[in-house]
Amino acid sequence: MAADDDNRKQVLQEDWPDEKFMKDEQNERLIAEIAKENIQLKEEIQKLEAELQVTTKSSQIKEDIPATKVKFTSAETPKDDSQLLNVSCSFQMNLQAHYELQKGQALITFEKEEVAQNVIKMKKHHVQIEDVNVEVMAKPVPLTSGVQFQVCVEVSKVKINVTEIPDELPDNQMRDKLELSFCKSRHGGGEVECVEYDKRSGSAVITFVETGVADEILKKKGYPLYTGHSCHRVTVSPYIEKHLKKFQVFSGISKRTVLLTGMEGLDMMDEETVEDLVSIHFQREKNGGGEVDVVKCSLVMHVGDSYAGNEMLPPKYETCQFSSHFTG
Amino acid sequence: MEEQARLKMRLQELKQVRQEHRDFPQIKVPLPVPEIPLVFRGHTQQGRKVPKTLVSNLRICYPLPGGSALVTFDDPKVAQQLVRQKEHKVHMEECRLPVQVQPLELPMVTTIQVSSQMSDRKVLVSGFPTNLKLSEEQLLDKLEIFFGKTRNGGGDVETRELLQGGVMLGFTRDGVAQRLCQIGQFTVPLGRQQFPLRVSPYVSGEIQKAEIRSQPVPQSVLVLNIPDVLDGPELHDILEIHFQKPTRGGGEVEALTVVPQGQRGLAVFTAESG
Repeated sequence: MAADDDNRKQVLQEDWPDEKFMKDEQNERLIAEIAKENIQLKEEIQKLEAELQVTTKSSQIKEDIPATKVKFTSAETPKDDSQLLNVSCSFQMNLQAHYELQKGQALITFEKEEVAQNVIKMKKHHVQIEDVNVEVMAKPVPLTSGVQFQVCVEVSKVKINVTEIPDELPDNQMRDKLELSFCKSRHGGGEVECVEYDKRSGSAVITFVETGVADEILKKKGYPLYTGHSCHRVTVSPYIEKHLKKFQVFSGISKRTVLLTGMEGLDMMDEETVEDLVSIHFQREKNGGGEVDVVKCSLVMHVGDSYAGNEMLPPKYETCQFSSHFTG
Repeated sequence: MEEQARLKMRLQELKQVRQEHRDFPQIKVPLPVPEIPLVFRGHTQQGRKVPKTLVSNLRICYPLPGGSALVTFDDPKVAQQLVRQKEHKVHMEECRLPVQVQPLELPMVTTIQVSSQMSDRKVLVSGFPTNLKLSEEQLLDKLEIFFGKTRNGGGDVETRELLQGGVMLGFTRDGVAQRLCQIGQFTVPLGRQQFPLRVSPYVSGEIQKAEIRSQPVPQSVLVLNIPDVLDGPELHDILEIHFQKPTRGGGEVEALTVVPQGQRGLAVFTAESG
């Protein structure tokens, strides 16, 4: 490398006047120095960022929503006119915190918070499971964080999106052509209220005066646009507005549910039996418990399950869903 | 060289943040989030699958134009049979009303993509006592007043929203959110008392993509272009009688909503339970 550099310098020296050459060399050196300093700075920044765990990263949530059957519930008078101009679909999404129940563990939900907290405070519990006295540890449930938000989607009944508009005419003229084409009732069009046209992207939003015209036009994917000398087929699609409301990141804490561990030795027992016995134990006030809502236990072998040979081993984890305290 | 200037500035920023963290060690990194109480109700799934997200409060609102009606039948087959024909004639005593019958399709979101990022202009105010006797509007007003004042470290409030874990406040200018988060704790008057509230950064979300599909409502049909000859209650009765008759292709009617000419209505659809 150094040899090449020297050769280059020699060639340069021969071809260029000395003064300019000196300046070029200086500039090269300067640039090289700055580049080196920049690398050092980048390293320092990376180190500090890691140290401070700077969370400027954005994360993505991608969810498929299961198909839900809907039914007519009621008729209302619209609060304002804007509700009449679109079909709105809104719902709440809750990406639930969950807990992976391991073998030998159980979750118990009490009716009252104080009972759950008391059970946790007592830490060790001796529970009689048939002829075995098991030492069970009570702990709070460690939960993952979750996200909650409301989605509102509005499909317009008076507006449509138009795309693939050819770039043939100046702005104002194309706007007029769009209006003329879309008010032709023989193609399903109707009286146009206004046209928003973006020449650069070849797209437009057409607002009709009457509801119903949009639905009619959207029955087909294309529509004829007459531009004077020719007819083009432009693409039409619904005009949809999407809103996100009440977005919240949270960490779920469970005040009424307690994690019980230490039941690994209870293999070969029926899960339901153990759940019942645990429930009975913790219902008793003298055991520090109270009214029990739900018990879910995960044991090593589920008696009653038949596994063909040894192919299907029972799964190691059971994912338990937690839901909001307030929903029914 | 420009890059170097930029890098030097970034380094300076970070060094400053580190210094601040040293001075105020109670500021936790990463981002503190509000806690929402959850409870286990017995729903489990085998294996390590992440459970399906919970969708609730599904509500679809469909505007009904004047001179229309929405008929919901007990049996979806009745609705299916009726919509095979577009033109119908509703029998009245002396004459027949020509109407159009159409199936109903509603938009439903099938996939959603949301990106979340720590916002540089929004904060989360939390630490409210549970027995606060203020309405949502009152609470939001009082917070906007307090955090709108520069002498409290705040600035012009652009957006505000009540959330389950606190209140989100969005400011018009840069820098306000950062300043408030650095201060962290505030004593805010809410009504006659003062309360210690906490301000932390807010992670905001934005819809990147939402795929929508039309789904049919099997039990309902739309009746359109009803001639304007009867008033509301009369029209309701005539339609109900007509659509109940199996001889006219009808069946047991579960619900019937009529919107006379000159009026407007909104039909609300919710998730079928069970």
